[in-house]
Amino acid sequence: MKAVRLLGLPVLLVLLWWAVSGGSFYLPSPDRVAVAFAETWFSDRLTGDVLPSVGRLLAGYALAALLGGWLGVPIGLSPRLRATLEPVLEFFRAIPPPVLVPLIMLLAGIDTPMKVLVIVSGCVWPVLLNTVEGVRALDEVLADTCRMYGIRGWPRVRGFVLRGASPQIMAGLRQALSIGIILMVISEMFASSSGLGFTIVLFQRQFQIAEMWSGILLLGLLGLGLSLLFRRLERWVLSWYYGSGAARA
Amino acid sequence: MLEIAQLSKTYESPGRSVEAIRSLTFDVAAGELVCVVGPSGCGKTTLLRAVAGLLPASGGEVRLDGVPVTGPPPRMAVVFQEYGRSLFPWMTVWQNVELPLKEKKVPAPRRRELVTQSLESVGLGDAARAHPWQLSGGMQQRVAIARAVAYEPQVMLMDEPFAAVDAQTRADLEDLILRLWRDLEVTTLFVTHDIDEAVYLGQRVIVLSSSPTVVMEDLKIDLPPERDQLGTRSLPRFGELRGHVYSRIQAARG
Repeated sequence: MKAVRLLGLPVLLVLLWWAVSGGSFYLPSPDRVAVAFAETWFSDRLTGDVLPSVGRLLAGYALAALLGGWLGVPIGLSPRLRATLEPVLEFFRAIPPPVLVPLIMLLAGIDTPMKVLVIVSGCVWPVLLNTVEGVRALDEVLADTCRMYGIRGWPRVRGFVLRGASPQIMAGLRQALSIGIILMVISEMFASSSGLGFTIVLFQRQFQIAEMWSGILLLGLLGLGLSLLFRRLERWVLSWYYGSGAARA
Repeated sequence: MLEIAQLSKTYESPGRSVEAIRSLTFDVAAGELVCVVGPSGCGKTTLLRAVAGLLPASGGEVRLDGVPVTGPPPRMAVVFQEYGRSLFPWMTVWQNVELPLKEKKVPAPRRRELVTQSLESVGLGDAARAHPWQLSGGMQQRVAIARAVAYEPQVMLMDEPFAAVDAQTRADLEDLILRLWRDLEVTTLFVTHDIDEAVYLGQRVIVLSSSPTVVMEDLKIDLPPERDQLGTRSLPRFGELRGHVYSRIQAARG
């Protein structure tokens, strides 16, 4: 029953795709895309394009998470720092990250550092702003408890500040993950000779339409896989939060 | 041992200042259990936070063993009213009790001993691996009490700790506090709005006026030292004392 509910709609969509794709050059049928998928991605493109893309994504994402958390904690803890920085942060967050690509290319060239930087420049904002918000809203009674029992410095940050803000930090990380995937593709569409974004554009220019579709399919699957992994991580990190019913309150 | 001298607190905000406490002077001797009772909104929590060193006073001072309190003193523990917010929900009961001891650099074997003993003394020996949110309100407050006890404080402050639990649990917890206080001989300042509770627990009851607050009366409770929910509360003297405190508080409310 569960399998039917889980797979029912995807199967239906594939059937629908099959029905409407009859003979169109730009919309190849699912079986042709499936063949193209196997031929294209289970080859040296896996190590030449897919893995480097994913590697840059993870590197940029991890850097953004560290940077966002590392900056967000002091900003969240200090009302004065917050009042000074928040308008500026909101401004930077409002800039669509793709327009930074030309600028970052000038500064960092066109290789891996540029692509990682583009991902960082987009992912850092949701993490940073959510961390600030989470730290700002920490429970005052718990803060008093820490003071009373001499919990300060790094144990306080690790045991109270980060844990207490973790529901918001995880929400920021979840937003950042989808932004990261988008920027991974965009950074490779500009000036690149490898990667998923580059390959999809290449296929399109060479009229390898089934291959192009298979790339889009792969990106969708990659996003889905990462999102499922993230949900497991979130369940693990926030088990206390879901258990305590705070998530529902 | 604990002296509160001309303590005052005025909350200043732009264009407005609220005098919460005008002047409070009283002291608590070593090993004594003193209850502070007053009408609601009289600044009981302000007083307790000032004594704990969590809130700077506007005037006067709090001295512990003759030393002015400027921040939370190392051998003072507090049990807050909001048990649901004073325990770390991401830690187990055991970790909650152990954390302050870790920060105090108590060696691990002694830590284990203290946590085990204090959890057993509040009747939660079996709940060590649970998370606070898996326990009832009364049990959560027991965990907070165990954490205070394990800390081996000189002074224990309690801020309306039983205001949010049901009557039966409340009676049990009151007796728990009396037993721990006797066993550990720890100086205790117990803030409450409940007159019965104050008279039942205290050796002395400090009656506060409404805000701006002063001490209206420092009342010695001359009940037999052994307290018992049924026996003590049905003594004629208990009725007199609670009636007396009640009329003072009514008078305070004007």
